[in-house]
Amino acid sequence: MLKKVLPVVLMGLMSSAVAAEIPIVGTVESKCVITTDTQGVYGNPTPSKLTTNMSDGGVPPIVRYDVIQADYYKALISHPETFTESPALGDVVNWVGLVEVAEVSDASMSAYDNDKRLYNNVTEIDLTIAGSTWFKVTSTANYGYDKAFPAGQYRATVQAECIAI
Amino acid sequence: MIQLRHFWAVLALLVCSSYSYSEEVYGTSPNAAAFGLNWVMTNVLPQQAGLTVNGVVYRYTAVKDPDSDMIVWVQNENAIDGGYIFRESDDWSGLPGNTITKQVPVGSIPIEYWGDGSIQVDGDGSVTDPLVVYNYRYDSCFQVTTDPLCPDYIPPVDPIDIATEDPLDDEYVKEQLERKAVLDEEDEEDRKRRQKMSEEEREDRRLESILGAVNSSLLAVESLKKHSELLSLNYIPVNYFDSLPDPQQYGDAVVLKDSNLPENRKARRQSVSQQLLHQELVNLQYEK
Repeated sequence: MLKKVLPVVLMGLMSSAVAAEIPIVGTVESKCVITTDTQGVYGNPTPSKLTTNMSDGGVPPIVRYDVIQADYYKALISHPETFTESPALGDVVNWVGLVEVAEVSDASMSAYDNDKRLYNNVTEIDLTIAGSTWFKVTSTANYGYDKAFPAGQYRATVQAECIAI
Repeated sequence: MIQLRHFWAVLALLVCSSYSYSEEVYGTSPNAAAFGLNWVMTNVLPQQAGLTVNGVVYRYTAVKDPDSDMIVWVQNENAIDGGYIFRESDDWSGLPGNTITKQVPVGSIPIEYWGDGSIQVDGDGSVTDPLVVYNYRYDSCFQVTTDPLCPDYIPPVDPIDIATEDPLDDEYVKEQLERKAVLDEEDEEDRKRRQKMSEEEREDRRLESILGAVNSSLLAVESLKKHSELLSLNYIPVNYFDSLPDPQQYGDAVVLKDSNLPENRKARRQSVSQQLLHQELVNLQYEK
């Protein structure tokens, strides 16, 4: 009996389809890294003015872009147009900002300042050279028409992005 | 029993395990360019045996006209093979000036190779706020005689007092040296004497040649004088012909009476006898 049953069972097992899934795993490391090098501080040289200018007691924020692969990314840096934290303000705040190259790891990167594109409060720079670039952001806020800022904590944010192109 | 022995063996091994000490020291030099754009590495790196430099970090601000050409070199000379052991260039030509920060790894180059360093600027522009630092490492036990805690430490050897004799104190050596000194002195005197003689000979020869030159010039003068005297002897005064009497013909004072010269018969005899004598003499040579 077993001799008759066993071959049938074996044949049944051999005829069924065998399938497997082999995974492929990959990790993409970012080739563009943004690091805050220096936090900014607003100086208050006049009651109506908050500024990051060093001559006015401020500290400009500095952001560093580390690019491993050239010509694949662009930097988008936006200087502040509003306070993320502040006392209640009843008047308009006029914002002025500038993004410029502060330090480079390759002399050719100093041409970024000539090749940048400006629109609204955004500075766009094509990162065409691999290496590290430090961008300095200056921000100045004037309250109304020579109106004193109310006392309190004021906070603004610089937005820095690395966009793949 | 066996387990107890194993236990003691393990315990003994744990207790007797050797302790080795070796310290890798990593460090960063101070700013080599703090006092200028040229520096000496002995003032920058610690003079530690076995020290190697792993990397160089530098920073400076280039001040220039955006349209001008400028190249900045950060470099160190090769102290052993010549040329440069480290050289980085930054080309700022046609670019606005800016601050640059660079970190350059180098492959653990020993301290002996690191010669004088400098920041060299070619073109129109300048460099301000330079910073150049070197990352290094060394093993504090590189020399086994420095630290007792180092493995394979070799303690210093105490000096051994060995009784020595000065060979110059030996009498025979002294005697030979004195004798040699005397001989040397005599040789020196001979040499000086010979030198003096040869100088005197050279002096004599010089004198002779000078005198010869003088003599020949005097002879020349003398001969010229004689020649002029001889010429003066041939001198015929202009008025010589004026002192002669009127020209006349002077005839011969001696006049031969006849033109025939008679033969001398007496002389014939003498000539014949001479001829005979001559013939006898000639015949003598043919007589046997």
